[in-house]
Amino acid sequence: MLQTEQKFTRILRGRLEGTLPEEELNDIVSDYAEHFRIGKADGRSEEELFRSLGSPDDVAREIRATHLVKKAEDVKSCKNIFHAMLATLGLGLFNLVFVLVPFILLVVLLLVVFMVGIVCTIFGPVAFLLSLLQLAGIMGFTVWLSPLSVVFLSIGITTLGLLLVIGDYYLARFFYYLGIRYLKWNIGVITGTECVA
Amino acid sequence: MNIQFKKGVLEICVLSVLARKDCYGYELVGEISKRIDISEGTIYPLLHRLKDVGFVTTYLQESAGGPSRKYYRLTEAGRKEEHEQKDEWMRFAASVNALLEGKNDAAD
Repeated sequence: MLQTEQKFTRILRGRLEGTLPEEELNDIVSDYAEHFRIGKADGRSEEELFRSLGSPDDVAREIRATHLVKKAEDVKSCKNIFHAMLATLGLGLFNLVFVLVPFILLVVLLLVVFMVGIVCTIFGPVAFLLSLLQLAGIMGFTVWLSPLSVVFLSIGITTLGLLLVIGDYYLARFFYYLGIRYLKWNIGVITGTECVA
Repeated sequence: MNIQFKKGVLEICVLSVLARKDCYGYELVGEISKRIDISEGTIYPLLHRLKDVGFVTTYLQESAGGPSRKYYRLTEAGRKEEHEQKDEWMRFAASVNALLEGKNDAAD
């Protein structure tokens, strides 16, 4: 198939439509249109210009990743950071290790801290109530601890649980910020699939 | 040369060319690709990024006997960035050169 300006533009549009706002996409396409126009006036063939531009798929992937990272920076959400991460992942095999692995580890860490926090927050008040009932002599349990120490322990556990949940929120925000910076740096440095070596 | 390495220095190359004069895209690509072998298409996404962070602005200017061209110009922040990155690169390159030359001496 002929390597032409039309082909370059079609691939670029096809890959970026739906992700980029129409206006931004037109802006990018017009940059390449200008490149082809001046190049042809310079005496080069479309085919030659196409070849030296490199793969339109690579160009589109990079623009897409940049756009999605910026979107995740502007509107902070799990969905946005996930899409940004996926798009950056597509930039090269290198990223399979250096983006995906840290991302999974961080998500697991945040989830574990959150779940421990939630369990403590629920378990604490329950233990607190039960120990009060026991102190009041309404219900009897066989616990290896005295009811009074369970009262204090349960208050401690509840507090710890709440602190973990709140701390997890700030930890997530911190990781989000770091993640955006890392993805940006990554897009600036990594390209193509040839960079595995 | 390693592709990854080239991509990393592309930014300072673009900033450096623009520090000397305003360029339109095709001209900028030409300036860089006559010295470094790159996929020319990647310069445009880079220019968009530099524009987003405010290192570069664009303006349209008529060309002799053709439609107007989009020119790129360094902003004040871009100029500062260019200085910093250039210093950093110069120091880095000097260290690497010293190391490489030292290695050759040792092999003699």
